[in-house]
Amino acid sequence: MFQHTPLRLTTLALLAAGSLAYTFAAGFFGLEILAEIAILAILVIALDLVAGFGGMVSLCHGALLGVGAYAFTVAATEAGLSAAPAMALAIALSAALAFAIGAVCARSTGIYFIMATLAFGQMGYSFVFQSPLFGGDDGLAGAPRPDLGAIGIDLTDSRAFAIYAILLVAVTYLVAAATLRSGLGRSLVGLHHNEKRLRALGLTVWRAKATAFAISGALAGLAGCLAAQHTQYISPGLLSWTVSGEALVVVILGGLGTLVGPILGAILFVVLKHEISALTPYWHAIVGLILIAVVMSRANGVVGFVEARLATRKPQPLVKEAKADA
Amino acid sequence: MTADLGFWVLQMLNALQLSMLLFLLSVGLTVIFGLMHFVNLAHGSLYAFGAYVAASLAGVLGYWGGFFLAPLAVAAMGAALYFTLIRSQRRAGPMAQVLITFGLIFVAVDATRLVWGDLPIGIAVPAVFEGQLSLLGVEYPIYRLFIITLGLAVLGVLTLILSRTQIGAMIRAGVDNDQMAACLGINVERMFFLVFVVGCALAGLAGAVAAPVLSVTPDMGLQILIPTLIVIVIGGLGSLKGAVAGSLIFGFVQTFGAVLLPTLSSVLIYALLAAVLVARPQGLLPAKG
Amino acid sequence: MLETRNLTKSFGPIQVTKSVSLKLEKGERRVILGPNGAGKTTLFNQLVGEIIPNAGSIHLDGADVTALRVADRARRGLSRSYQKNTLFDALTIRENLGLAAAVALGKGQGLWSDPLQSPEVRETVREVAALVDLAPNLDATVSAVSYGIRRQLEVGIALATRPKVILMDEPTSGVGPEMSKGFHRLLKSLPRELTILIIEHDMDLAFDVADTITVLNYGEVVFDGLPEAAKGSQLLKDIYLGAWEDA
Repeated sequence: MFQHTPLRLTTLALLAAGSLAYTFAAGFFGLEILAEIAILAILVIALDLVAGFGGMVSLCHGALLGVGAYAFTVAATEAGLSAAPAMALAIALSAALAFAIGAVCARSTGIYFIMATLAFGQMGYSFVFQSPLFGGDDGLAGAPRPDLGAIGIDLTDSRAFAIYAILLVAVTYLVAAATLRSGLGRSLVGLHHNEKRLRALGLTVWRAKATAFAISGALAGLAGCLAAQHTQYISPGLLSWTVSGEALVVVILGGLGTLVGPILGAILFVVLKHEISALTPYWHAIVGLILIAVVMSRANGVVGFVEARLATRKPQPLVKEAKADA
Repeated sequence: MTADLGFWVLQMLNALQLSMLLFLLSVGLTVIFGLMHFVNLAHGSLYAFGAYVAASLAGVLGYWGGFFLAPLAVAAMGAALYFTLIRSQRRAGPMAQVLITFGLIFVAVDATRLVWGDLPIGIAVPAVFEGQLSLLGVEYPIYRLFIITLGLAVLGVLTLILSRTQIGAMIRAGVDNDQMAACLGINVERMFFLVFVVGCALAGLAGAVAAPVLSVTPDMGLQILIPTLIVIVIGGLGSLKGAVAGSLIFGFVQTFGAVLLPTLSSVLIYALLAAVLVARPQGLLPAKG
Repeated sequence: MLETRNLTKSFGPIQVTKSVSLKLEKGERRVILGPNGAGKTTLFNQLVGEIIPNAGSIHLDGADVTALRVADRARRGLSRSYQKNTLFDALTIRENLGLAAAVALGKGQGLWSDPLQSPEVRETVREVAALVDLAPNLDATVSAVSYGIRRQLEVGIALATRPKVILMDEPTSGVGPEMSKGFHRLLKSLPRELTILIIEHDMDLAFDVADTITVLNYGEVVFDGLPEAAKGSQLLKDIYLGAWEDA
């Protein structure tokens, strides 16, 4: 089950301190990258929650993010809602759709689950792409940033926006960690390992899966709102399955089922993308090769690799266990 | 317009042509999955590779040079992939396979950009198949009729091989129960290799025949991937019949949807897929009862 | 407490359960005997709802549960252990028992608290761990403990739901005689009001703990009665021992 080991807590503390410190040191470009990392981090924490802990490998999280982005933009521009209720509405819509997808796909496992989520994601993509209401291929512009003028914060400033984005990552992390410690989270991990037994113990499996997927979907929707607020322009490409695929890549690079790992993965991915794409237009190929190497190495991403290394060096956990036995 | 017989004939032919192209792609993917439980997301990239090889060779050897050599080149590529990645990841589970082949797509897209550039390449239809043929009052490009015929011919040959030959019986046994097949003394390893390479060759063939009809671009593999996956999931993973049924369903729903319900057309096929997954999670005609 | 009426199930042409009628009173301990392939596990699978019978009905605590799904029957107090260990391998024994207790208490979908920290769940885990002798191993991961310990956990998980009726599918299969004996003691120490149905191969154990005995052969009930009557039964010897010798 999910654990906050000292290593993970230290990593989290360093990440929080480092990113906040960076917001004050960085220039405009650095702050933009920081916001981009934050958006990806929220999406991959959401994905890790269901894929890493529940074994529900989803290829529709890009679409759920896109739904959040579109719903927020439409609610704020067409319906004239202010940012906060528009965000709430967008997150609720993403959660509701994710609940429906989770319920429908609850019977599918393995590759069938992956395919089914892919299908739903593409359905959303096609719908947005074709519907004139959403601007089609041209996308939509004009998503506002929340107005925090009342407390003296101007989110149009990229430093303030980066801090706001980092805070939302922290909120996301706390929601995911709390979910994993709840009864639902315990069941979710149990479902990953033995669905049949949990059913025999009296768990309504489809509802547990759908609820977990809905929470993950809500977080993906939040990432979508943030993405819309960041670029203030959205296009159907946000819903594309390759966004979901990239999110999965980030989770794998960081460490599946570790929550901390995906955040590290998001940092690595965005930084690598900018660094490599400055050198060569073929940065996707480099990412592809890294991905293949990581998966073939069988290490569980960066975090898994480090934890496995530490475990072989220090036999301390074994000693503890022996004490408990005696 | 819909009362006109010619309209229906034309759309039927369009649908059939799309179906047959998808069939060439999906049959390899689905039999590979049924036999080896391997999910190859890079199958579309092999198709794109076939199209590029065919387009390049067309300039040197003419259309038919590309037509015959592209499947061979893709088969060779498939063999290389088999020994470097596929074989070692066969038991790694769907997640690892999806990720590795997803990584392969990234590599393949950029590799084609590196070699052939970003601009679309077009090639001409071979001289024999130029022009139109009048069919039930409809003028239809001969080359597209050739694609339909080729698809049907491949279907016929594969059906014969699977139902009448010893290797076909082995493949069917392997899809049904791989442990049983190994017990019966079948060289499973060699059979996997053969099926994988033939599947790749068919993807290359699909790329070669599609090259004159579609424009050859680096992302054509990515674009065909989703339709191919939909075909095999609707049809049922692992079965030849499923690939046929899935291809026809996709071809017809897509083609007729686009002309009859233009606002809904692209959502239609995904909704159908969702309905199939809910009602029959294993697809319409799965390989195993 | 638990009753089946004319329960029938076929797989294709093969009838694996032929019109089985059983009736267990509250607190009854019944052992099901029968050779391999007699349909014992298939009967269990039907009782808990993992297999749907072709005909007949199942009644739990006076209510017809034939149409209920697995989870719904479990929530009405029916629990089972499996012949083949069906555990949460990557979790600790404490988490295994805690998860079972939490789900049974209706906390499996909760969002606001950690059920493993709740007093009821912790109490259940402690009690069950003491019963099935797992207290020293609570923090060991399942994949790291011996087969015998996993076997105890298999029954422990079923008990952690605090069931009214528990079905145990060959709880001592694959463990040594010493552990088997320990299991006898466990069974006897369980609360008397718990209704227990056990599939067992070991005749001695069967006669030791059973209030009543049912013998299945080719999916049919061929004996149903007191252990004393079964002991002397030529019929039981013929079928059961005969099949043993054949096997």
